[in-house]
Amino acid sequence: MSSLLVAEWRRMLIDLVRYPLETVSMMVVMFAVFAAMFFGAHYLTAAPISGPSLSGVVIGYTVWTLVMNASGFMGYSIQNETQNGTLEQVMLAPWRTAQIFLVRGMMDILEMLLPVLAVLAALIALSGARFDWRPLALVPAAMTIVTSWGIGLIMAALALVFKRMAQMQLMVQFALLFVIIAPVASISGLFGQVLGVLAPLTVQVAVLHAALAAGPGASAALWWESAADMVVWFVGGLWLFRAADRLARRRGIIGHY
Amino acid sequence: MLAAEELVKRFHSRTGLITAVDRISISVAAGEVLAFLGPNGAGKTTTIKMVAGLIRPDAGQVMLDGVDVTGRPAQAAARLGAVLEGSRNLYWRLTCLENLIYWGTLRRLTPRAARSRALELLRLVDLEDRQHNTVQTLSRGMQQKLALCQALMHRPRLVLLDEPTLGLDFASAEAIKTTVRQLCQDGVAILLTTHQMDVAQQLADRLAIIRSGQLVLTGNTQEVLARYSRPVWRITAVEPFSASQQAAARALGWPIEQPTQKDFLVTPPENDPAAIYQLLDALRPAAIRLVERHQADLAEVFQQVVAEEEAAL
Repeated sequence: MSSLLVAEWRRMLIDLVRYPLETVSMMVVMFAVFAAMFFGAHYLTAAPISGPSLSGVVIGYTVWTLVMNASGFMGYSIQNETQNGTLEQVMLAPWRTAQIFLVRGMMDILEMLLPVLAVLAALIALSGARFDWRPLALVPAAMTIVTSWGIGLIMAALALVFKRMAQMQLMVQFALLFVIIAPVASISGLFGQVLGVLAPLTVQVAVLHAALAAGPGASAALWWESAADMVVWFVGGLWLFRAADRLARRRGIIGHY
Repeated sequence: MLAAEELVKRFHSRTGLITAVDRISISVAAGEVLAFLGPNGAGKTTTIKMVAGLIRPDAGQVMLDGVDVTGRPAQAAARLGAVLEGSRNLYWRLTCLENLIYWGTLRRLTPRAARSRALELLRLVDLEDRQHNTVQTLSRGMQQKLALCQALMHRPRLVLLDEPTLGLDFASAEAIKTTVRQLCQDGVAILLTTHQMDVAQQLADRLAIIRSGQLVLTGNTQEVLARYSRPVWRITAVEPFSASQQAAARALGWPIEQPTQKDFLVTPPENDPAAIYQLLDALRPAAIRLVERHQADLAEVFQQVVAEEEAAL
């Protein structure tokens, strides 16, 4: 496994150093979108967003940025490799295909981490949001990312079989924006309960928010629910990806675009 | 080294189930080149990809150095290198050296070993001075040489080459052929597919011709060429033959054609090695430039085999 990690780490570093403009552009877009949302909401409601709502939006937006990459990168990478004609070479490497793309997903998050933290600092400065920083918050953050990799594996599985899925990825990303930024966990009634069970990441985001906000933090039951949800999405994604890998090899469509 | 037995692959299409590969068996020994030839759509690429594990066969088995490609794909991949046609095989944003180190490390070499091997291969294909150039700035020939290096990084026992010299200029094609010959000397088995019959003839120890998913000819290259050669001699003079010389030649009573005034194509009696001298005597004192017995080339063999199979259908 170490040589796979080393290979992808080096490739990520080369990309980062050789094309810094791409990272800078990403940071500018991320900051500009949040600023537009923040001042737009201020203008529409004629009152500043503050308190728990503000911290929720800032955390939600930052998490969404990471989730968007974690859930979208593997599928994008497969489409890109197919289009460029390198996917077959990648699949000739002595690793399971899922291992290779998961490691790539990890490297993408590492590559994103520093710029996202810099943007988060800028967002906090812009909005005046306040957080109760606790190291424990890293656990639900990691659980959120792992759950997103599960979604990413599902998207990658679809990309392996269907190849062109840019529109679908866009749709999923906006659906995730809704479940992360909107307080799904607090929606009452049957709709809220169904959404809470079926929609991914709602529990992880609730635990993360509780861990960062002032107060007692999430209940043990919510922690367990979050962990179980993460395992279901990740293992489910892995299973689906392996099934798609077998199907693509059986149909002979790995290199097709 | 490679033993593929009774491979079958069927694909669903709008018109029904199509058998792309029908009970094909091929083998390649260490240090040997097998040219796997066939017209477009014959099933070559499907077979090659089944050998590589990129397509799963419906029936049959591929054993690579004793390892089942379907059952133990990671172990098989460690023994296999491939340059696939229609694929870039390389990352265009990385330099030559970075590409080779990446692919080598991905195939379980340490970065140091990958670097050392990469430089060795770049020297071999004369790309050492281009090591820091990104792939997108290289010519097609250079990219193809680099793709071959990429496939050789982990010292595979079997190399699959799908159209390795397609679209290359003379010098680049010669460099690829030289590298292939060197690999064979080092004991690497090569499975080559190409539409360039001259390349196949120059490199292949053995041939396998496929048509409509079925093997229609296999054998040692030289034996196959000898089998398809005809007992026809070409005699070419420096100046056109005179009327008396033409009459003397025809007087021998052998089947004879005269494509130009300077050429005879004759079929002397078989089992008489001295017969050709009778013809040369009859043509005295013409200045003869060329005397040669017909030797089939691979293009002729291929055309003939495919035509025979079409006629049989």
